[in-house]
Amino acid sequence: MQRREQRKSAGTAAAIAAVVLAIGIAACGGDTVGGGANEGEVTTAKAGPVTGKLTISNWPGYIAPGPNGTVAQFEDSTGVSVDYIEDINENDAFFGKMQPLLEQGQSGGRDIFVVTDYMAKQMYDLGYLQEIDHADLPTVFKNLLPSLQHPEVDPERKFSVPWQGGMTGIWVDTSKAPEIHSVNDLFDPKYKGKVTMLAELRETVPLVMLAEGVDPATASTDEWLHAIQRLKDAAGSGQIRRFGGNEYTEDLTAGNIVAAIGWSGDASLIENPNAEWRMPTQGCTRWSENMVIPVGAPNTAAALAFMDFVYQPKVAADITEYVEYISPVKQVKGLLEKRGSELAESPIVFPTEEFTRNCTGQNTPKDLEEVNEAWQEVITG
Amino acid sequence: MNLRQRLVPYWLLGPGLLWLIIFFVVPMYFMGEMALRSGTLETGFTFDWAWSNFGDALSGRGEQITRSFFYAGTATLLALLIAYPLAYAIAFRAGRFKLLLLFAVIAPFFTTYLIRTIAWKTILFDDGTVVNVLQALGLAENGRILATSFSVIAGLTYNFLPFMILPLYANLERLDVRLIEAAKDLYSSSRQAFLKVTLPLTMPGIVAGVLLTFIPAFGDYINAYILGGTQNAMIGNVIQNLYLSQRDYPEAAALSFLMMALILAIVLLYIRFAGTEAFIGEEVEEGR
Repeated sequence: MQRREQRKSAGTAAAIAAVVLAIGIAACGGDTVGGGANEGEVTTAKAGPVTGKLTISNWPGYIAPGPNGTVAQFEDSTGVSVDYIEDINENDAFFGKMQPLLEQGQSGGRDIFVVTDYMAKQMYDLGYLQEIDHADLPTVFKNLLPSLQHPEVDPERKFSVPWQGGMTGIWVDTSKAPEIHSVNDLFDPKYKGKVTMLAELRETVPLVMLAEGVDPATASTDEWLHAIQRLKDAAGSGQIRRFGGNEYTEDLTAGNIVAAIGWSGDASLIENPNAEWRMPTQGCTRWSENMVIPVGAPNTAAALAFMDFVYQPKVAADITEYVEYISPVKQVKGLLEKRGSELAESPIVFPTEEFTRNCTGQNTPKDLEEVNEAWQEVITG
Repeated sequence: MNLRQRLVPYWLLGPGLLWLIIFFVVPMYFMGEMALRSGTLETGFTFDWAWSNFGDALSGRGEQITRSFFYAGTATLLALLIAYPLAYAIAFRAGRFKLLLLFAVIAPFFTTYLIRTIAWKTILFDDGTVVNVLQALGLAENGRILATSFSVIAGLTYNFLPFMILPLYANLERLDVRLIEAAKDLYSSSRQAFLKVTLPLTMPGIVAGVLLTFIPAFGDYINAYILGGTQNAMIGNVIQNLYLSQRDYPEAAALSFLMMALILAIVLLYIRFAGTEAFIGEEVEEGR
């Protein structure tokens, strides 16, 4: 009997302790979570002596690696020690991971993130980024391609500096499906279960709209939902094998699929000699990824120095030779021609206006919430 | 009993209790509080007793919840059918290989869960031997295993199998073989001895194994993400998507809460049904 009572009182004690603690925490906690901690007080990244440690978050395989690579060159020329982390696989997932920190005005020790246009804008609008003074980046604004100087998401380049750009189109295994040229062909029952698409709303859905003759830049909510419905039906019938990110490169390598919606610069990740990136008949989407400086970045001076450093034509050309995406630096094409690189002739690395005439930027639907909800339902079908 | 003696149990409880409060009660509180907020990331989430989150979290998710039950349930059953004979063999028939076999059961843990699951993707690729053989036998529909329910259930079974084997083994290992001998001396057949003696005495192991397998399998999202296709999302994938892609933290928290409550209810029912003694194993202990 006594033992049971003891047990009971221990339980009561625990319950009381929990409640007291919970109330204590509730009293400390703020009323609102999210909503942009720094709204109205945007800071500008400070320049200064370039020393110490610099931490960069980037996508995998997106820089010239090794002892003579970009990072090593920067370290040699400035004496800054660089912690280069390849921890970005998806804009959304990276944002999800960083958001609680950014909300507190911290960046997890990072000085530079590399994120896609819309994500840079989203972070800026939430007050998670620092602004950049052009005077601190002389090389950048001398060498930046004119076509990238006034993008829609950041017309004055107040908070973003392009890292690399690319196009979203169709990867085809030419030995198995040579006749795929349009996004519409991906819906051909002949290729049932042999096609994958990207899980990000702004990647897949606009390409389907283009294939239907709709301009994603001006599309109505109904047109977005119509394209999503088409994708939903195709997923339900087993036509589309899966939605994902970078994994399509593995599926193409293994021969699991014959075609995928994918990114123009991924040739180095696909070990399949028959894999070929094709410009969809009805057009592609174009995007850039940007270096941004988050709030709470510990070493903004080194971050600015790094941004300026990678705009030196020679450094930029080294990066292009390795990653095969579209460089924002205007001298790179000439430099690669001089080096005798085949890439200088590639329409994928140096797309002409003729080549990309049907392409659009990355578009966000007007009613993002409704469209995104419908899309996420397709992905988690 | 003097005061000091009476306080001893509390001191012993202390560390565990503190652990539970910091790593269970406090996160639960935050999650519960988040589940009652409303708003968006842009405007901020404000606490306003938004009970509707719970309704929203469930609406349209019936299919994924049913699917999670089906996948986790099938995987648990398969794991039990594979693990029981295996644990039995290791406990009674392995002789000097016992340690080696036990090591083999645990060996997969030396590689991370994620890598092991990705490895299955390589083994099961469409043009691979496994798929070709299965296809010749008429078992691989549409010429593939990957991106089907089959591969997700297989992945779950594989990944959680050790959690079924180990409690079963621990239980069988403690089993007093003289009880089985006695049953046979009393003219029971091997089958009867198994059904009337071995099986009831190993119920605690079965119950523990089933819980350890079913609970994590139900909430898993890695297997469905890596091995599944467009029609294989489990409830874990939905929650992950709500958090990271839609960033609807309140709805994600509400859904997590509901799933936790659901699992808790099932576990309580199950323990009730399987018997508390079987769960705690008091009878076995006292019988010795």
